[in-house]
Amino acid sequence: MPTAIDHQTAEEAELARLLVETLHLDIPPESIDPVMPLFGDELGLDSIDALELALAISRAYGVEIKSDDARNKEIFASLRSLAGYIAEHRTR
Amino acid sequence: MSAACGSSSPFSPPDRLPLLGRAPEDELYRTLSVRITAGQFLAAARALAARLPPAPYVVNLCHNRLYVAVGFAAALLRGQVSILAGDPTEQWLKALARRYPQAYVLAEAPDLRVALPVHIVGFEPERGQGDDAPPLLAADQLAALVLTSGSTGEPVPHAKHWGSLVARTLTAAERFQFESDAPAGIVGTVPSQHMYGLESTLLLPWHAPAASFCGDAFYPSDILAALQTMQEPRWLVTTPFQLRALLASEVSLPPLAGIISATAPLSADQAEAAERRWQTKVFEIFGATEVGAIATRRTTAEEEWQTYSGITLAAEEGGVRVFAEGTPPGRLADAIALVDSTRFRLLGRREDLIKRAGKRASLAGLTQALMEIEGVEDGIFVAPENLDSEPTARLTAYVVAPTRSVAEIRAALSQKIEPAFLPRRIIKLERLPRNATGKLPRQALRALSARFGDP
Repeated sequence: MPTAIDHQTAEEAELARLLVETLHLDIPPESIDPVMPLFGDELGLDSIDALELALAISRAYGVEIKSDDARNKEIFASLRSLAGYIAEHRTR
Repeated sequence: MSAACGSSSPFSPPDRLPLLGRAPEDELYRTLSVRITAGQFLAAARALAARLPPAPYVVNLCHNRLYVAVGFAAALLRGQVSILAGDPTEQWLKALARRYPQAYVLAEAPDLRVALPVHIVGFEPERGQGDDAPPLLAADQLAALVLTSGSTGEPVPHAKHWGSLVARTLTAAERFQFESDAPAGIVGTVPSQHMYGLESTLLLPWHAPAASFCGDAFYPSDILAALQTMQEPRWLVTTPFQLRALLASEVSLPPLAGIISATAPLSADQAEAAERRWQTKVFEIFGATEVGAIATRRTTAEEEWQTYSGITLAAEEGGVRVFAEGTPPGRLADAIALVDSTRFRLLGRREDLIKRAGKRASLAGLTQALMEIEGVEDGIFVAPENLDSEPTARLTAYVVAPTRSVAEIRAALSQKIEPAFLPRRIIKLERLPRNATGKLPRQALRALSARFGDP
């Protein structure tokens, strides 16, 4: 029985599509719950995915992800936090 | 420089070797803000050694290379064996606590995942003595147990003795032509507890003219900042995945003397692109955790690999045996064609062994983990051919489990196996295409992959 997920905003839906396309995920983008953890059990993403995703984000939005950013864990915590960070820092 | 290079042949190792083969004022490590000399490092290692609890084993779970290094040095000074695991899963930590109940954990912060006492690491050069000669350690002192996944997914320890670790750093420095009048500035993007990272980023500065960067170097922008911090000649120690990301990104790197890649085969195209873009030389190291680094090649120039001095290979029934001074003979899991005892070509992986992100696993072991899940009646893991070279390539699991959902199976698997080997797709079937003898013929598996559209 699937549980209801939080509604994706337009920005989150766009990022979810980028995520699914970049990482070849076998799920519909709209099924990613914006508040669920990106890394860990749910999607099973790992460090190579983080690298690929950072690259795609830098190309699409001009936002460079860094490890030494104290907020790195927070930024990658969920679709919502990642979309929020991109909205704040995007240059394209 | 003291007797770092050249004076000792790897074939007749001395019985005792100094902890450090560098002068006290030589730089060993550098962070974004601090430089650590050999003298300071020795003082900090002595200060930490004096505070370590008495125990035969220490599980070094530190993250920053400087802390991993000072913890490793302090353990050596106390005669304690360091247990090194790249990025252990909770299941591994449980297995470690069971197998080494007298061990303690060394970490930068309390770690609640592990049922062993945690000792917090420190770096306090002012509290120890670092100016006198570094102590001598017996070449046969057991320095570390480096863990890899066994065929069942349980951690398997590989013994590393002090003499062989030192011999290998000296031969690496010789191969890459590190010179003491212009010490190399190394930026490693790989963890120090992995055999490749241990040899090529953590230990190299102890005996070879090099300083190693300590800090984050994962995303292209991290790597740029790290390289800018280091002095020339700069060397980047990395993996094909990260090299690919660097090539795809827009960051413009400072001049590079060399790039070293390991953990997976690097394509000649990528090596050539990297050499052209950064006007540098790209080398690959071929290694195995059992033995450590074995051979190198300049990817754009050579198809054949050349072993390090002191390492020879011999063909044997169904494989290749490696002889390295100071190490028991090891067997290579990769399929290799010997040209002679020091040169070879790689033919690819064996059927069951898969590699990804510097880790390896056995398909049989992963399948076993899948079968252990409650409600799973039958199942198998299938790997695409390009698993170790294509970042988005992942395993697929076919499962017969009428009572369990895909999400439940995924959650159960994530408790048991490393994220690198979690299947991207879990496909539920009514039954697997087993033949009359109960086997899954390769042809039937290919048909499955074709039917479910695997890349």
